[in-house]
Amino acid sequence: MTPSFGTGPHAVRLALTGDLDYDTCGELLQRVRTALDGGGGVEELHLDCGGLGTVDSMGLSTLLQIHRSTGREGIAFRLDDIGPALRRLLELTGTYEHLTTPRQSEPPGTPGPPVAEEGAAATGAGRAAADRPGGPRPAGA
Amino acid sequence: MTSSPARPRTGAVSTVSVASAPCPVVVLDADGHIAELNDAAAALVPAARPGQPLSSPAWLAAADRTRPVPVSGEVGDRWFSAQPSVLADGRTVWWLLDETAHRSTAAELAAERGRTRFLTEASTALLASLNLERCMEVTARLAAEHLADAALVISPTAARTLPVVACDHRRELSRSTVAEAPDSVPGLAEALRGFPPVPSRWIDPATAPDWLVPAGFGEVGSLVITPLPGLGVPAGALVLLRRAQQDAFTEAEESLAGLFAARAGAAMSAARLYAEQNSISETLMRELLPPTLRQTEGVEFAGGYRASGDTERIGGDFYDVHPPTEDSPETLVVLGDVAGKGLEAAVLTGKIRNTLHALLPMADDHARMLRLVNNAMRTSHHTRFATLVMASVRREEREVALRLTSAGHPAPLIIRRDGTVEEADTGGTLIGVLPTITSRTARVRLAPGETCLLFTDGVTEARGGPLGDTMFGDERLKRAAAECAGMPAEAVVERVQMVTSQWIGGGRHDDIAVLAITAPRGAHLSAVDGATRGRYTA
Repeated sequence: MTPSFGTGPHAVRLALTGDLDYDTCGELLQRVRTALDGGGGVEELHLDCGGLGTVDSMGLSTLLQIHRSTGREGIAFRLDDIGPALRRLLELTGTYEHLTTPRQSEPPGTPGPPVAEEGAAATGAGRAAADRPGGPRPAGA
Repeated sequence: MTSSPARPRTGAVSTVSVASAPCPVVVLDADGHIAELNDAAAALVPAARPGQPLSSPAWLAAADRTRPVPVSGEVGDRWFSAQPSVLADGRTVWWLLDETAHRSTAAELAAERGRTRFLTEASTALLASLNLERCMEVTARLAAEHLADAALVISPTAARTLPVVACDHRRELSRSTVAEAPDSVPGLAEALRGFPPVPSRWIDPATAPDWLVPAGFGEVGSLVITPLPGLGVPAGALVLLRRAQQDAFTEAEESLAGLFAARAGAAMSAARLYAEQNSISETLMRELLPPTLRQTEGVEFAGGYRASGDTERIGGDFYDVHPPTEDSPETLVVLGDVAGKGLEAAVLTGKIRNTLHALLPMADDHARMLRLVNNAMRTSHHTRFATLVMASVRREEREVALRLTSAGHPAPLIIRRDGTVEEADTGGTLIGVLPTITSRTARVRLAPGETCLLFTDGVTEARGGPLGDTMFGDERLKRAAAECAGMPAEAVVERVQMVTSQWIGGGRHDDIAVLAITAPRGAHLSAVDGATRGRYTA
């Protein structure tokens, strides 16, 4: 967050819909990569899990992978709207805290300018919908 | 003199000079003597003289003069057709048209059609099999039938011997391995290496080693080595041999051999890749075969493993039962599931099982053992993980004492004799990703006839039921387990497997592993099985 420059955090929100499993996890990774590499110095990644169906072990592995790589790049990672099934999986595997606790080096998640939600569109079962980075942009950037 | 080869439609008589005709013209009188010939004809048939009988070309001299029809034949190294026109006085004018170019084009077209047909047939025959040996045989046979008198197909190998399939001049196939280095034949090593691409190479037949020439072949007239280009991997080399009395390879034949080699190479490398993939799948399957469990130290163990029907979904479920050793007085049971499937999952499965085996002496402290495994498994390359359940089993009097620890895995179910089913109070972090992990060990005692059931999520996540897409789920598993109260370990496993199989029906499923640890009913300590197999592997 660089409020001193008059900008809000550059946040990317991806709404996940359908199952996250062996067949679809590659696509999620790729979409996340595309979104984070999109420029503009992304500082926060939000994965909206409200529309998620079944998450299998490869799906969980993918979430861990995204968590790890955002951590390396100093990007905050948030899982939003975790449903009961996903929560159960994360608790069973002992990863709930790991995936939902903000990292120490991260800027505090809230409060702050709200994350822009740009058309988190569903693309049907087994697909993760990705959106371009939202969030207020520096004027004239 | 003039003659009229044809009457125009107008009916007017027009005359054409033989001398000025744009092609050779010969006029024969009724008895076959040359009445007239133009310069072109004189140049073509120098022996012809007016007034003399036409003797050459023979095919024209022999042509019917009373009711002449077009004829054709060779004149020197060219080919002519002769078109007749009969004059009123009985003489015949033969107009000779040079058809050499047309004829060679037609011949080339026919040859090209033949080559295309051959290549099409070759592709069909080559692609009919994904068996490498069969592909080599088809390649050798087709090459010997269409391109040469005999052909050899040599496949690349890391070994010191060369696998060779030969089709000899009698069209007989033979298979052999030749204990020769590829560089004993000029150009062979380069062709087998596959990269960089090398053109076909002519070899002086005199320098060819004996093994290259089929027995009874006779003198070799020409010999060419053509690389078989694979799909990014070298597929081998094709050696074509022609006998001394046969023509050497023409340029067209050589290019045909190249086109054929491309098809044969593609088919052979596809077969090779398929064979490799198949052997990997077989290795995986073999590794995943369930161990035969039996009573150990007075405790019943039974395991059941149902591999995913669909080979690409074969994942990483595993279980091992390690009987007590000097260093570890308890039997250690491990059942787990590695994320993902296929080769990567199998590699990770092997790694985690070996690590656990090595750490057996630490089994008195599950949490510590899991921490060590976690450290060993963590890598920066990926976040693939394993979840597992460990059970340390010890017989105490008639009961069985268990220490159960889950690392991110569904908790084992305890099936009491009265039919109540409890989840063991254990939980922990999955293995292989997080820098620090925690775990909580449950201590459970089994009275005779009671069972601890370990399972992978292949059971609870099996989709099926009346609508075909409902998960089997925890509750159904608990109900099925409750029906197993008092049963021996083997019966419990069979029952759970049967219920899940019925649920799945014909649907797809992932690996399913189930393992039961049961305190024998009314067992005597004499039931202790002293046999200690070093390790049961799944």
